[in-house]
Order: sequence, then structure tokens, then C-alpha cells
Amino acid sequence: MLEIKNLHARIGDREILKGLSLTVKPGEVHAIMGPNGAGKSTLSYILAGKDDYEITEGEVLLNGQSILDLTPNERSVAGLFLAFQYPIEIPGVATMTFLKAALNSHRKAKGQDELTTPEFMKLVKGVAERLNITSDMLKRPVNVGFSGGEKKRAEIMQMALLQPSICILDETDSGLDIDALKVVSEGVNALRSPDRAFVVITHYQRLLDHIVPDIVHVLSDGRIVRTGGPELALDLEKNGYAAYVADAAA
Amino acid sequence: MVATPARTPAELALVARYPAERTSLPGTADVIAIRDAAFGGVEKSGLPHRRVEDWKYTDLRARLKTFPPAAGPADVARILIAAPAVEDDKARRLVIANGRYRPELSDLKDLEPGLSVFSLATALEAGDTLVLAALKLDDAVAANTAVALNTAFMTDGLVIAVADGAEIQRPVELVHIAEGEPAASTAVRHLVTVGKGARMTLIETIESLDTVAHHSNVMTVLEVGDGAKVDHIRLQLEPDEAVCMTSLVAKIGREASFDTFNAALGAGLARAQIFAEFTGRDARAGFRGVTMLNGRRHADTTLFLVHGAENCQSRELYKAVIDDEARSAFAGRIAVPAHAQKTDARMMTASLLLSEEAEADAKPELEIFADDVQCGHGATCGAIDDDLLFYLLSRGIPKAEAESMLILAFLGEAIDEIQNQAVHDALIHRVEGWLKARAA
Repeated sequence: MLEIKNLHARIGDREILKGLSLTVKPGEVHAIMGPNGAGKSTLSYILAGKDDYEITEGEVLLNGQSILDLTPNERSVAGLFLAFQYPIEIPGVATMTFLKAALNSHRKAKGQDELTTPEFMKLVKGVAERLNITSDMLKRPVNVGFSGGEKKRAEIMQMALLQPSICILDETDSGLDIDALKVVSEGVNALRSPDRAFVVITHYQRLLDHIVPDIVHVLSDGRIVRTGGPELALDLEKNGYAAYVADAAA
Repeated sequence: MVATPARTPAELALVARYPAERTSLPGTADVIAIRDAAFGGVEKSGLPHRRVEDWKYTDLRARLKTFPPAAGPADVARILIAAPAVEDDKARRLVIANGRYRPELSDLKDLEPGLSVFSLATALEAGDTLVLAALKLDDAVAANTAVALNTAFMTDGLVIAVADGAEIQRPVELVHIAEGEPAASTAVRHLVTVGKGARMTLIETIESLDTVAHHSNVMTVLEVGDGAKVDHIRLQLEPDEAVCMTSLVAKIGREASFDTFNAALGAGLARAQIFAEFTGRDARAGFRGVTMLNGRRHADTTLFLVHGAENCQSRELYKAVIDDEARSAFAGRIAVPAHAQKTDARMMTASLLLSEEAEADAKPELEIFADDVQCGHGATCGAIDDDLLFYLLSRGIPKAEAESMLILAFLGEAIDEIQNQAVHDALIHRVEGWLKARAA
């Protein structure tokens, strides 16, 4: 589903990804853990197509198709979704207008007709309800005045609406209290399916109690330095990243 | 000895036109004297250029290539079938075609009690003393080139009076239409007096049926009586070839509430001037507008506001979207004399540049002589925020559509202040059309 091969990327003179490889198969949940500065957020932005980075080597395939030359919106309609660590506020753009534009762009790319307003409303209301997103939130501009937890729930709502094949969750647990963490995790778990995969990027193990990964990777200094099962996350929680940081530096 | 620069073609045309037309323009000898004085000033100084501070960013001498002849009578049949700029069954449309008020095209049915409407040309011909008095302007306003040209060449306009306490339910819409070829000039003056405690909505639309280089000069002198509430909205929809200069002179009385909105969507060269003054205490006013520019168009918004009385509040918000090689200029001057304590004024202008060559100039000025005031001003200028754009793109929205959403959001902050729903919708419709054309 998602294949990252020997990815090298830099911003300015600074190389951040130094030969990162990762293969994610349909239905799998991968966790990428790592210390601050390891390149976790860079990886998520590069996958989504932010153009601040220069890719110097390697490739990224989504369902066999190279995506590095695709624009961010083309990647989105190709099935990639990034849940942002810091979902951005967009004053003046109504949430419903935004959701409708996004959904219809996806439908158009698939050759489907645009949804009628009643169909769209019904769809959004159903998804919003499951994530405790009130109609008041839907009436506001995109993410404006949302608390940290509300923003993360709104991200998961967008994910549920767009039905991507690969979901990248960038530090989705940051800024969440335990109740919000549960709602968000349940939202994600509800979307788990044999033909959808997740890459969960996190600094802490606690998210992985709720979204249980199949495979855990340690990202340090721009490379995957270790891969294991869920027990690896527990080990990291206990012993920290020090050993890996030292390894990478060596 | 002062060197007189050579006259430009536009100046030569002006100097040739005025003596030929002065006695055939409407008005008694008193009116001719007022016209002569106004034209004399322009003739002496020539068109203003960039070294004249008030025209620093809009060098009229360089930009005004011609000054076309006076417009002839309009073809009424064409105006009758033209689609209205604002779809509003409620509005009372008063049509000024090629600079002349056309009652036969206007809606004069069942004028509300307290509302009177008549032609300026008729009043000038009759030497109406009240109207003559209303032509008198503060010296600084009278000397302004766009104003002086309006005074010299005005052919007609509307004299509208709203009686004390009258609530005019239907918005009054002044529809300015230029029709015919070749390009021609029009100068229209409206005198609007809103009595104490009265209410009205005044809409102005300015448009042409032909894409030729018309010059339109529209000036509205508005008196907002004590405790009155007036909402003024102008949609300037001229073709790209046209030159459009508008001037609003507003005196705002005690405890009055006044809002004015200017949408500059058209014209290759546009200048919107506001000369406003609080003449009584405890009043409030909102000055807002949007400008949308592309190609090599140029639009200027110049606001002179005198906070001439105590405890008045003003809010200024002007937003410009500038694409291609277009250029926008904003100058806003707020003067607070020593006696105008408790003044609360906040001026904001923001420009969104959509291309490398687009340019925005902003010049906020505060002249404060009172010591117990709150005055603020801000000016921003920048491109579309990459992070906002990336977020929309990351959800599958194509770039052109995402940019349109962000541009509309940027303008929306100002547009959403328009209280009149029909005008609000008409403006949004135009903005969306502009964005669609840009995205295509």
C-alpha cells in the first residue's frame, strides 16, 4: 500500500531524512516513535506533499504509484490523509463549505457526481455525532475557536468523510486529555479495515494503548533504527530513546 | 518665476471643453460662477501629480490619457433591457443615464411620506437657493481635483431629502449607467439630506453597458442629521477600460449612525474619495470597502475623516485583492482636533497580493490634538498564507479553488458587514465571478 524507499530529504542545508525505508500493507497499523528532532513531522509533511522540503533521493509509492511528483491535493484524492499535529485555523472559511469542497473534490476525481446538500448534511451529521462534534462547531469557520481536543476530533471527522486508504496521524495525542484521547482513538479504530492502513506518529506510548499497532518503528536521526511488535513501544516507554539516540550518533 | 509644465492631452481637452460648455451646462449665473471658480483652480494647477501629496500614489497627470467629450443622451431602450446590478425588488431604483436623471426609467411610485426626490439640473436651472447653498463645500474639499471637475461639469443628479423622523423602508438605489460609443464623460452630483432621527439605506451602482473608456465622476454630498441612521453602499462595476472617480462628502450629526461601503470591482483607473466629518458628539460611523484588481488596473481609496466632536466612534476597514500587475493605493487620514475628547477610531487596511508584480501602497495618517483618545491604525500586505493553502490542498481541494476560498474569506471580513442582504448577495456573486474567471 505505502512503500517508502531510501528516502532522503533536506530543508535548506540540513538533511533531515537520511535513507528512510518503510513498507505498510493494507490493514496494518504502524507506529513510528522517536525522540524530538528525529524527523517524524518532516516525514508526515513530505508524505502529504508540503513543498518546504527537497527530496534528494529515494521514492514513495502509494498503491504502486509514485507520489512524489503529485501535488498535495492529488495525493489526497489518491487516498492519502494527514491528520495534522497542529490543525490550522482558517478564519472566514466555513467548516461546512470546506468539508463540501473537500468531499466533492474527491468525488469528482473518482468520476462521481457531487453530493446534494441534503445528502452532504446527512453524511456530515452522522460522522460528527460519533465524534462528539456539535452542530455549533460545524457552524464555525474551520478550526476557529476549537480547543486542542476539538481540533483533533475535527481531523478525524475529515478522515472519516474522505475515506482514505492510508492515514498518517501526526502526534494526534498531543494536547489531548484522557477523555478526548479516547474519543479520537475510538474514531480511528472505527475506521480500521482490511483495506486501510495507518501510520501513527507519536512521541508517547499512551496513544498506542488505545490504537494498538501491529508494528512499531523507532525513528532516530532520519532513519528507522529498529522495528518490532507492540512490546517495543512498552520498552521505549520504560527505557526512553537514549539508547537509540546514542546508536544513531555513533 | 514658476515654470508651467506643458499641458498633457487630457489637460488640453479639459481646457478646450470647459469654455465651450459652461453656458450650456444647467444653471443660473450663480451656478456658472461656482463652476468657473472650480474650473479655474484646475486650470491653474493642472492635473495633480505624484508630488501633490493627496495624489501621491495616483498620479492623475500621468495616468489620465484623455478627457473624452460630454456624454450625449442615452438609448433608453438598451437601458430598459439591461439586467440590474442588484436584484432587489424592494429597492427604489432611480436611474441616471449618461449623466442625466431619467424619471421615466425610475421608480417614483408611492414615495414614502417624508421622502422627496427631484432633479439637480432642474434645481440649478431654477436657481433654487437651498440647492445653491448645498453646492458650497469646505475649501479643502472644493479644491480637490475630482471634486472641482465634478463641480465644473456636473450635468444632473438627485436632490433627495428625508424629513425628520421618517423611516424610509425601501432602499433608495441610484443607478448610474453609461451607454453608447465612443467613450464619453459624465459628472453627476447628488445632494442627500437625512433629517433628524430619520433612517434610510442609500445604494449606488455605477456601470457601463459598453466596454469603452468612459469617464464617470460621481459625487454624493450627504448630510446625516442628529440621531439619524444611514447605510450607504456603492458598487463600482465599470469596465476595465473606464475611469471612475467617486467622492462622498458626509457630515455626521450628533448621536447619528452612519455606515458606508465601497466595492471597487471595476475601472482601469478608479479613485474613491471620502471626506467625512463628525459634526455632533456621540455619533458612530463605519467606513469599509473592498477592491479587486487585475491586469494593469489601478484603484485608489482615499479617506479624510475629521473626528470633529466629542465621544465619537469610527471603524475603518479596507481590503484589497491585487493580481497581475495591478496596483492599489490606500490613504486614510483621521484628524482629531483638541476638543474631540473620548474619540475612538480604529483604522485597518489589508492587501492580499496574488502575483509577484502586484503592488499595494498604504498610508494611514493620524493627526491627534486631543489627549484623551483611542486611535489605532494597522496596515498589512502579503501573499496567500502557504500554511492555510497547504491545509486545504491536503484535503484534496485543487489549488485554484483553495485560493478562491481563501481570497473570499479575506474579503468576507469586510463584505459581511454589509447589512443590506440584496447588495451583500450581489457583491458576493460578483466576487465569485471574479474568482472563477481568475481560476479558469
